Amino acid sequence: MMITKVQVQQAWTIARIEMRRAFLSKRGLWVYLLALFPAVAFFGHGLQMKFMEERWSRNGLTQARVVDSFTKGEKVDEILKRAPNPSFDHEWTNRREDEGDRDDKDRKTQPEEPQRRRAISYYDGQRVIDLRFTNGVLVEKHVRFFRDPTDDRRVFAVIFQFFYLRLAIFFGCLGIFMNLFRGEMLDKTLHFWFLAPVRREVLLAGKYLAGLVASTVIFGGGALLGYAAMLWPNTGVDAQAFIAAAGWSHAFWYAAAATLGCLGYGSVFLAAGLLLKNPIIPAAVILLWESINNFLPAALQKLSVLYYLQSLCPESALIDEQQPLLRLLLAPAAPASKSLAVLGLVLVTALVLWAASRAVTRIEINYSTE
Amino acid sequence: MKGTEVIFEDVSKFYGEVLGVNKVTLHIPPGITSLVGPNGSGKTTLMNLMTGLIHPGRGSITVLGLSPRDPEQLMRVTGYATQFDSAPRWATGMEFVSTGLTLYGYSPTEARDRAWQALEQVGLTEAAGRKVAGYSKGMRQRVRLAQAIAHDPQVLVLDEPLNGLDPLVRAETISLFRRYAAEGRHVILSSHVLQEVDLISDQVILIANGMIVAEGEIRGVRDEMSEHPSQFIIRCRDASRIASLLFCEDHVTEIKMNDDRLGLLVLTRNREEFSRALTRIALAGHVIDGVIPSDESVDALYEYLIGGGRA
Repeated sequence: MMITKVQVQQAWTIARIEMRRAFLSKRGLWVYLLALFPAVAFFGHGLQMKFMEERWSRNGLTQARVVDSFTKGEKVDEILKRAPNPSFDHEWTNRREDEGDRDDKDRKTQPEEPQRRRAISYYDGQRVIDLRFTNGVLVEKHVRFFRDPTDDRRVFAVIFQFFYLRLAIFFGCLGIFMNLFRGEMLDKTLHFWFLAPVRREVLLAGKYLAGLVASTVIFGGGALLGYAAMLWPNTGVDAQAFIAAAGWSHAFWYAAAATLGCLGYGSVFLAAGLLLKNPIIPAAVILLWESINNFLPAALQKLSVLYYLQSLCPESALIDEQQPLLRLLLAPAAPASKSLAVLGLVLVTALVLWAASRAVTRIEINYSTE
Repeated sequence: MKGTEVIFEDVSKFYGEVLGVNKVTLHIPPGITSLVGPNGSGKTTLMNLMTGLIHPGRGSITVLGLSPRDPEQLMRVTGYATQFDSAPRWATGMEFVSTGLTLYGYSPTEARDRAWQALEQVGLTEAAGRKVAGYSKGMRQRVRLAQAIAHDPQVLVLDEPLNGLDPLVRAETISLFRRYAAEGRHVILSSHVLQEVDLISDQVILIANGMIVAEGEIRGVRDEMSEHPSQFIIRCRDASRIASLLFCEDHVTEIKMNDDRLGLLVLTRNREEFSRALTRIALAGHVIDGVIPSDESVDALYEYLIGGGRA
């Protein structure tokens, strides 16, 4: 089929008209909730971090070398002498010993007696040092990084791959792209397009473009917002160094993965909307296919949108080694190279759109049976 | 050469196992053509077939020589006002009509100008800026008509176009159809309100149970039905005598006398013979004040042809 300038203009006109519906459909407001969930979650986490940092540093920061010098067995007075302004200080008396502190044998031989307990915490600008005293002696020392950019990035990678790609973009595209044809069938308005001097394939292209722009803005934007919200509270030198070195590249690939997810899932759900009446059935089948994909032979794995999307992600979402069953269920297949992943997604999309263009020429308006 | 007719050649359409239309062959010339039949008889199916919204399982259709499978060409010469609203919730009447026109390649300004003209033709300019979702049934009917005529089509297909219109607007709409027909265009409309068809059609296609029962001019269709008696009311002073004379005619099947004995209702199987018989009676000196065909409306014909099967 020769594509003419008029057809390109028609496709763009259709896309512009349909974008309004794709962006502002009341039916589709939940799509925004899905897309913005990671951003909201990380923003909330960031706010909490800011609030806690403000609280920890209210009494000033303690030098790192000072807090590193604390050792078990030291007296509380010695510690307070070296670091007189803890961020947190609480003292109490135990009426009974903690059951875990002594074994049963000791408990039988020693009478229960009140113990003076004290918890003191310091903040050095990066780490929180929790000290536990019993009867004025340091018995426990815990050091934790208040901000851990590496950990935040790993959490983001997990949320992005296991929530955003598998569920948010999947169901978001289901809502947006199924609605393009099936929704109009239900509203009994599809004939408006079929009665225009437009080839069905051009109509398909225009509608797909509208869905793609809308879903890309919503989910690509959501991914970038989430990524920004994740980085926002990390103002340390390490975090700044990461942003300068790889931050923009990671942001690009997350946005690219989201966009290509919309491209791939969008084509699949657009075709499903043309071929099937009930969206639940194709959604369930495709979700199942994507979920079991890791167990399939390598050739079949490449027929999954998720396979290529995960290959594009800049950081792997490591599954806790202590949960082998979860790892077995969710571990992605050996990733493809980024160029192969992009090419594979584009090819899968082209194949599905070609099938959809065949289907759209056969579709009939028969509202009474819808 | 580009055709001038809408042609159905042995067209059948089934929805699964349900019959839509069966073995329809039609040649529809320019002018006002009405598809008449009860609900579910296949009128909308025929319209959807000729505009490509559905495809025939068998047979072929051309509209002015164009295939309904080629909307890019077909819809430039065809406008179809369906029974269903297709306006988006956000659209005003003007936006609805002009949006469709942008797909014809008109610039936004041209589209608005044409949309305004179309809305003017259906008397909807005052409501052009209001949302279609807030329109009354009659206004929606008119905005659909405006959308169908906005690109100045040669073939206008209208599904129940007079439904929900008040008498004044109905008269204006009919006049619009007549204007289109006078310009040599096709106006193909469906209706199950028979009086409407009687008034405005150049030709009628009677359809029942997915099959064409009759087609042609209303009078012509009737003439084809030689077994179908025609009714005439005769106003006269000597009703009993004229009744006895008419009874001698073979083609007269029934005569009823008015209570005032100044009129007769006569059923005849042959209109021409009946006309000659009346002439003979008048020449014999009997005074006949007037002869009125009482079943010229398609109602009688329709009920006769499809057995009064209106839904």
